[in-house]
Amino acid sequence: MIDRSAPRHDYPALAISVGIGILFVISGMAKIGDPGDFADNIFGFAILPPAFISPLALGLPPFEILCGLLMLAPRTRRVAALGLMLLSVIFFAALASALARGLTLDCGCFGVGAPSRQRMWLEAGLNVLLFAGTLIVYLRSLPKMRRLAPI
Amino acid sequence: MSTPARTTPVDMQRASETSALRVQLIRDLAMVAIIAVISLAAGLVIDRFAKNPLPIIYKTPEQRFDAELTNLVATPPFKIAPAATIGLPEFRAALAGKHTLILDARPSLIYAQGHVPGALNLSRQDFARDYRRLAPTLKPATEKPIIVYCSGGDCHDSRMVANALLTLGYSNVSVFTGGWEVWSANKLPATTGNAP
Repeated sequence: MIDRSAPRHDYPALAISVGIGILFVISGMAKIGDPGDFADNIFGFAILPPAFISPLALGLPPFEILCGLLMLAPRTRRVAALGLMLLSVIFFAALASALARGLTLDCGCFGVGAPSRQRMWLEAGLNVLLFAGTLIVYLRSLPKMRRLAPI
Repeated sequence: MSTPARTTPVDMQRASETSALRVQLIRDLAMVAIIAVISLAAGLVIDRFAKNPLPIIYKTPEQRFDAELTNLVATPPFKIAPAATIGLPEFRAALAGKHTLILDARPSLIYAQGHVPGALNLSRQDFARDYRRLAPTLKPATEKPIIVYCSGGDCHDSRMVANALLTLGYSNVSVFTGGWEVWSANKLPATTGNAP
């Protein structure tokens, strides 16, 4: 049986959620004001065809902000953590692919900056940390399974 | 004869938990998909009211630059002063001085049939493409004297290219109004092919 009551005093998960949530809200706000630059960053990865670049550049910043805000509320934290977990996997895969192909570009993952290989490695590492953080939050936010007492 | 495996209450419990978790994950993924759709809708609405909206079909920086240049050469801004004009003697003197950049504004096919020796082909017709091709030579030459010519007579290509260059920040641009017509009529040397 599933116990649907959300954990009330899971302070480590709360701390991680607030940290990640604020990071994504700031990151989304930085991108939402200049979707053109963010679209150029996505184009720089040379992964997506042009038809997908604008929708992604327009949709991703609100997604980050929305998920970041939802991370702050206990009831919506689990879904937001899953969304941001998927996002960190996508960002990491795109960065790893660009690094493997020898590209030097601005990831645009956490705001727009100057293209640099060093920054790409740092952002790939940060995405691994974010994946771990969101995974912890997701797993700890899952409804607890109520074990049946063995007969 | 093997005995059938017995299903214990613990096994049933585990199967039930796994199934419940799978259902939960699918529900959560569906919720993420809904958030993604809402985000895309919000992004499109925000972009609609943005100062510089992003086109739905993305244009690369090169495509945007090409469009700007094409627009620049096709609809010259009238706020700038038109480029100065020179005749054949001044043109020949500038050519002999070897400090002036000579640009041929005619289409590349015409350029290949014969042009002033040393002239680079910056055609009005393919201005954006040619400008990008010649960027390594042109960009450091913003202060350098530049003379543009075309076929001569009623040809306006040289004026349009010269005005586009003035708008792009080249300060010393003039037009050889006689153009190729006057140059060839005086039986002056010519170079054929695509090389200057």
